[in-house]
Amino acid sequence: MQIIENSQIKEKVYIEKLENGLTIMIIPKSGIQKKYAIWGTNYGSVDNKFIVPGETDVTSVPDGVAHFLEHKMFEQENGTNSLDTLTKLGVNANAYTTTNHTAYLFECTENFYEALDELMDYLQHPYFTDENVEKEKGIIAQEINMYNDYPEWEVYMNAMKAMYHNNPVKIDIAGTVESISKIDKDVLYTCYNTFYHPSNMVMCFAGEFEPENLLEEVKKRLLPKENEGEIKRIYVSEPEEIVKKEEIKKMEVSMPMFVIGIKDSIKGNNEIVEEAIIKRHIAIEIILNLIIGKSSKLYKKLYEQGLLMEEPYLDYEFDKTYRHITITGKSTNPKKILKNIQEEILNLKNNGIDETAFQRIKKMLYGRTVKEFTDVSDICRMFLNDYFKGINSFNYLENYKQISSSYTMQILEEVFKEEKTVISIIN
Amino acid sequence: MAYETKKIKEGITIHTIETEKFKTNLIAVFLTVPLKRETVTNYALIPAVLKRGTNFLKTQEEINIKLEEMYDASFDCGIDKVGDNQVIKCYLEALNDEFTLNNEQILKQSLDLIFEIIFNPLIENSSFKEEYVKTEKENMKKLILSKIDNKDKYALESCIEEMYKGKDYGIYKFGYIEDLEHITAKNLYDAYLELINKAKIDIFVSEILKEIEENQNLNKLNPRIPNIVKNTEETEIKEAVEPKEIKDIKEVSQGKVVIGLDIAYNKKDSRYQMALYNVILGESATSKLFQNVREKASLAYSARSNYIRQKNNIYIRCGIEIEKYEEALKIIKEQLEDMKNGNFSEEDLNNAKKYMLAGIRTVQDEQDSEVTYYFGQEISGTFTTFDEYMNKINGVSKDEIIEVANSIKINTIYFLRN
Repeated sequence: MQIIENSQIKEKVYIEKLENGLTIMIIPKSGIQKKYAIWGTNYGSVDNKFIVPGETDVTSVPDGVAHFLEHKMFEQENGTNSLDTLTKLGVNANAYTTTNHTAYLFECTENFYEALDELMDYLQHPYFTDENVEKEKGIIAQEINMYNDYPEWEVYMNAMKAMYHNNPVKIDIAGTVESISKIDKDVLYTCYNTFYHPSNMVMCFAGEFEPENLLEEVKKRLLPKENEGEIKRIYVSEPEEIVKKEEIKKMEVSMPMFVIGIKDSIKGNNEIVEEAIIKRHIAIEIILNLIIGKSSKLYKKLYEQGLLMEEPYLDYEFDKTYRHITITGKSTNPKKILKNIQEEILNLKNNGIDETAFQRIKKMLYGRTVKEFTDVSDICRMFLNDYFKGINSFNYLENYKQISSSYTMQILEEVFKEEKTVISIIN
Repeated sequence: MAYETKKIKEGITIHTIETEKFKTNLIAVFLTVPLKRETVTNYALIPAVLKRGTNFLKTQEEINIKLEEMYDASFDCGIDKVGDNQVIKCYLEALNDEFTLNNEQILKQSLDLIFEIIFNPLIENSSFKEEYVKTEKENMKKLILSKIDNKDKYALESCIEEMYKGKDYGIYKFGYIEDLEHITAKNLYDAYLELINKAKIDIFVSEILKEIEENQNLNKLNPRIPNIVKNTEETEIKEAVEPKEIKDIKEVSQGKVVIGLDIAYNKKDSRYQMALYNVILGESATSKLFQNVREKASLAYSARSNYIRQKNNIYIRCGIEIEKYEEALKIIKEQLEDMKNGNFSEEDLNNAKKYMLAGIRTVQDEQDSEVTYYFGQEISGTFTTFDEYMNKINGVSKDEIIEVANSIKINTIYFLRN
């Protein structure tokens, strides 16, 4: 196995790519009782148009299939449900779907290999029937309705819709009650057979493990499968421009909520160059913190004016087909927040970066990343999430030290553009 | 792992939870007072003002700069309700010294900072700073109003308020808007002095450092005899009440059902039985509620229950299609009857035990869960080690669960709809 070590934080990751294409990552942690396992496929809500390996025609599926599949994977042919089986082992099991991946996981303090048996069994044996697919529609409809009652979710999705013309990142991960009504067992099998192939998947473990032994245990439980050909994903082209500058919706909230979005260019390049994107990510985080982070002058001013009650949540979300910044918060006057942020961006462009603040924020971001290496679930999810973006999570730690203020200024000019900025408001 | 307590003065306890396995150190300081209508709003507002500035770091900006320099140390101070007590919980989590880039002593700085924020606030003319109190009153008003933003939580809060109308436990932990107008920088500072002098103080740290005992901000505190309320399963006695059914209307696309249950069972150690009853009823994925409301009837995405041991209550919560209310209610009531009639297997009980045991083992891998565990014991005045806890869980029999089940009655059914 390949071993990557980070001496600063005293952690190692063991990596192995099997012949069938499956990648396995193991992060040993000693002295803790929890063990965590996660098996993810590089298949999420945005993958709704693709060519099945070996075929020539494009397959299009309804919105929400990846998430629907996540719900249905637990069902077994013998009438049992793997979530129940895992729960009965005293194991905490779950699954989730994002825009670019679906993941199945469990966390336990005992019965690890029994749980691994079950996880690897149900993910390699799908069982969909007309009846069990129909039954799930009621449950997922309630999940969709639950999200419809969350203004935080609505305000976020509206920001995506304001930024993106075509990219499916603007579609709800669960789809709509209408779109899921079109899902049947054949659609599920097509997507399963295409995307749940070892070569499209990665497994990640953290806890007290002997990596070589664990690797052998995993191999024993894998069904033989040939390395599959490439899955061609059809991505609709996305203009550089935003759709509209603002989207305002009414819901029953005590104070308006907002998401300010800045659409970043992907310049027609679907491949992520690891170091470049890490550096870009860090530079953007630094800039966001300089502008409106908790120690910024602007935050102080807006707080004192009663326009912000807490610092906005700052994020840079990216994958192969999209990149954007989100600034999320609550304010009695979101438009004034936007105006102030835009002025501050101009200020920063004109006056340059304060070196003391720059160094401090770098240190802060470094500390934030190190903290992620405590909990086994945080560790695994971070490695998995980064893996699907072509990133090894350790590499952030090195780059925090190296990033320069001149590079950061360059990213500021390149990314923080007024014409790429949107605001979504719920009031 | 070693856990020790040391009373540094009457009413002030240091809890040491030694560990080496984390990348961070968590320091927690809890101030506990009885939850009372007259003081709730004042006490809820105090942490917000404390966060604004200390005697040395006079602005929030200075505090935040300090936290950033300490490798993204995070400080937060919030309000919790634990039984009939209001608890001001302050946490500071910071990187272990070992992982700093230049061998900085973050733990020492963390201790100094958290005590400084709580015990040495910015004072002007025997009063909090006017401007800070003014802004924080406005913020608190917005926070209280924001109760309606999360409809799931709103439904739960409303059900609890209905069940405990006129009683201390029914008080909203953040207080009331009508109280805010009477609060001034001066009388809030007086309330603060009262709090600091009377509250039960618990300090949780990961190692004993001489810095704690030498800390001036701690040393200036007086001994006190705190009058906290000890709620345990033995003290919470439930009277039989007619079940109430409440319907409330808000803009929702999904109906939210909350059913508050009273447990009229107050024997020693009955919390283990109740906790297991709750897991079988609605806490895990194999629970009766999850299986019957969600998996079989396809009525809900979330269907679960949680047990509040300080008050001998269980709350059932489901998000359902509004038209399916009667159907869902019928199924939920059937599950309660099933539990009474012993319609669950030994296997269900064993699964519930495994679930609880895994949970308790996990607590030891999470600093904040450990703090919560030990604080819960401190407040209830019992001390149970993790091993004892696990033994007690293992010892519960099916008959005991049935006995608990038969003491359970619906107090309130609350339904939020459009």
